[in-house]
Amino acid sequence: MKTITLTLKKKSQIALEFDELIPDEVFDWEKDDFENYQVPVGNKRFPLTDYFDLEVEGTAEGPEEVKMILEGDCGRVKYIGCKMSAGEIIVNGDADLHCGAEMTGGKITVNGDAESYAGREMKGGELEIMGSTREFCGCSYIGDWRGMSGGKITLHGNAGKQLGECLSGGEIYVKGNCDILAGIHMTKGFIQIDGDVTRWPGGQMKNGNILINGKLGILLEGFVFDKIVKDPEIDGKSFSGKYIKYTGDIALNGKGGLYLNAEKNRELL
Amino acid sequence: MEYILKNGIVYDPANNIAGEKKDVMFKDGKIVDNVSSDAKVLDVTDKIVMPAGIDPHAHVAGPKLVVGRIYRPEDSRKGVTTKTDVCRSESGFSIPSCPATGYRYSRMGYGTVTEAAMPPLEAKHTHEEIMAIPNVDVTPLPLFGNNWFVLQWAKEGKIEEIAAFISSWLKITKGYGIKIVNPCGTEAWGWGGNVHGIDDPAPYFDVTAREVLRALSQANEMLGLPHSIHVHPNDLGHPGNFPTTINTLECVKDIEKSSGMRDQTIHLTHAQFHSYAGTSWRDVESGATEVADYINKNKHVTCDVGQITLDETTTMTADGPMEFDLHQLNGLKWANKDIELETGSGIVPFIYSGKAPVSSFQWAVGLELFLLIKDPWQVCLTTDHPNAGPFIRYPRIISWLMSSERRQEMMDNLEVRVWSYKRTSLGSLDRDYDFNEIATITRAAPAKIYGYQDRGELTPGYNADIAVYDLNPNDIDPIKEPAAIEKAFGNAMYTIKDGQILVKDGEVVKVVPSHTLWTNVNGFEEQEKAVMEQVMPTFNRFYTVKFENYKVHDHFTPYPIVTEVQAGK
Ligand SMILES: [Zn+2]
Ligand SMILES: [Zn+2]
Repeated sequence: MKTITLTLKKKSQIALEFDELIPDEVFDWEKDDFENYQVPVGNKRFPLTDYFDLEVEGTAEGPEEVKMILEGDCGRVKYIGCKMSAGEIIVNGDADLHCGAEMTGGKITVNGDAESYAGREMKGGELEIMGSTREFCGCSYIGDWRGMSGGKITLHGNAGKQLGECLSGGEIYVKGNCDILAGIHMTKGFIQIDGDVTRWPGGQMKNGNILINGKLGILLEGFVFDKIVKDPEIDGKSFSGKYIKYTGDIALNGKGGLYLNAEKNRELL
Repeated sequence: MEYILKNGIVYDPANNIAGEKKDVMFKDGKIVDNVSSDAKVLDVTDKIVMPAGIDPHAHVAGPKLVVGRIYRPEDSRKGVTTKTDVCRSESGFSIPSCPATGYRYSRMGYGTVTEAAMPPLEAKHTHEEIMAIPNVDVTPLPLFGNNWFVLQWAKEGKIEEIAAFISSWLKITKGYGIKIVNPCGTEAWGWGGNVHGIDDPAPYFDVTAREVLRALSQANEMLGLPHSIHVHPNDLGHPGNFPTTINTLECVKDIEKSSGMRDQTIHLTHAQFHSYAGTSWRDVESGATEVADYINKNKHVTCDVGQITLDETTTMTADGPMEFDLHQLNGLKWANKDIELETGSGIVPFIYSGKAPVSSFQWAVGLELFLLIKDPWQVCLTTDHPNAGPFIRYPRIISWLMSSERRQEMMDNLEVRVWSYKRTSLGSLDRDYDFNEIATITRAAPAKIYGYQDRGELTPGYNADIAVYDLNPNDIDPIKEPAAIEKAFGNAMYTIKDGQILVKDGEVVKVVPSHTLWTNVNGFEEQEKAVMEQVMPTFNRFYTVKFENYKVHDHFTPYPIVTEVQAGK
């Protein structure tokens, strides 16, 4: 087991890019490898040690034996854990854009907020954010129609707009509230939101399921009432309580399921 | 500066040199037959030497490309490189950035490419992009097949008016020749429709593709343009479309050729998309045999293939209704544009996969055409970049053409589905191209088809546009070593352009501005003047731009190569 601790000592105005510092790349690095490493900052590179104090303990045979701990406010550190396939990263602070993007395995925990594009195009592994995130969490790359396809995102705070855009697999759990168009263009996979949702979940969804335990502001016109279900089972997962089930988005002949907590959304009954 | 490329094995089909060990010399940018003892020696012992490649049909500059890049950032992120001392950073796979386009052609040993669809209204912008593409000269073909003036005069049989209009518009747009895309069909798309076959009239104008093709061909020959009409026929991609294709070729057969530089009077582009039999995608069969037979029997025809490369790519064409059909088929994002009195266009991403029966079938039809057309001077290597795949796959296609074993292997191990041999004759074709035939379909034939008098051959006086590939033809068995063929043709040992070494060992070592090739017709001034008087009232009434802002001024072509033509000679 190898523990790599990076403690922030100077926050850069321009974001640092951390996609080269993932367990897959650094599992066999010694302390001096980190000390010699130049991290991309904008269109240049600077020594990592300009920004972080370093500690490296133990050894690893592969990425799965690596634990990276980022101490401090990493709100200007982009691409944390981007493309990682194994191992663990813990951020004790905020994370900037694209945290956990394209990850295929391993686990990232952010003990703070994450900026937009967290978990973009995720294929596997686990991303847990103790705070909130902003737009396009668990989404596709801009322009693409292929989004997150596997793995699990758990968000203890709130989610921004277009959560799980183009989702084609995997699971997203939001403990807090969520802004517009969760699951837009989704074709498969599961989104659960425990808090309130402003409006339009599932816009243009073709398939997959969205479950909302809070109150929904505005339902999209493309969703038609299907039935009232008690203790539904969705994708092999059991839920207790009464839900109003809709099917949509009929604008695209969608067969997606939208489950609204009946108690919280009584006026829709 | 004098150079001597020493001891290479030369393939120069225009001069009937097929794998001869000889030196190639050049001085001050031109091929020469001797140099002084001061000449710098480049040792290319036993390496393949050819004229630089010429791509007769691709989409590399213009508004379609820009819209493609804007709406496909997911394509731009592929192929990203960091800048070097010589090159800017690159981006894109199917729609590379302008600099990347130049570098990538250069690395393959190419020196010239045709931009095959320039809407006259967007000509300025097309030339701006050409200026941003280094290292490879660009020949833009303006679109005329759905132009309102042309449609009107074709209906009335006014060939001289059309000739004068073309003569004038080649000057106005700085264009090289006549491009026709889905004649009458794109105009019909302005009314929400399309035309089927060559005798289905366009709405309002009530003129048919047959009439438009014949009129433009007659005008082309009246002017004696270096290139023939360049035709993307009706019914692209439709099962059962091969009769339309043959009708298109046949309908201009009697028109007499006036330019001595070329043999053909019609160039059929991306023939693969136009060689399908059957009635629907359920019962589709290859029509390649019929199209190839026709071409084998008719010397007034040349073609390029538009080979499917089995990649995710971006389709973009002035065939607006076809792109809408494609979007309905694959459900992916669609861009559409109407170009006022001239044409239209559409863009849709497309994934050609060896796992899909239709893609596998199309892949095989393209290869059938290459293998069934007997005379390599009648067929050129293209992918209709980026429509059937990106041009960076040419080396791979070369490896397929040179190896029947590789093709069989792809069918056997399911890299392509069974439709590749059950719906086509590919499985029975065991022809293997040799290096001389490859040199013909990638340089000599395109040069001849375009009537180029300065490139495509290693003749003294011609531009020193030369490619050297790191292959010993006496050593390698292309049938057994397709990967080595692909690697060598993708990474030129030397690419020499106008006597300057631009690529060495697969790396771009020098960046130079590209030239723009266009045609200036002389001796038709009176007719041009008369026709402009007819054109201007309509122009002023319907165009959204003023004529003063329409013309491509000289500063848009800082490095022009002008082919001067005496009308009718
Ligand atoms: Zn075309
Ligand atoms: Zn084309």
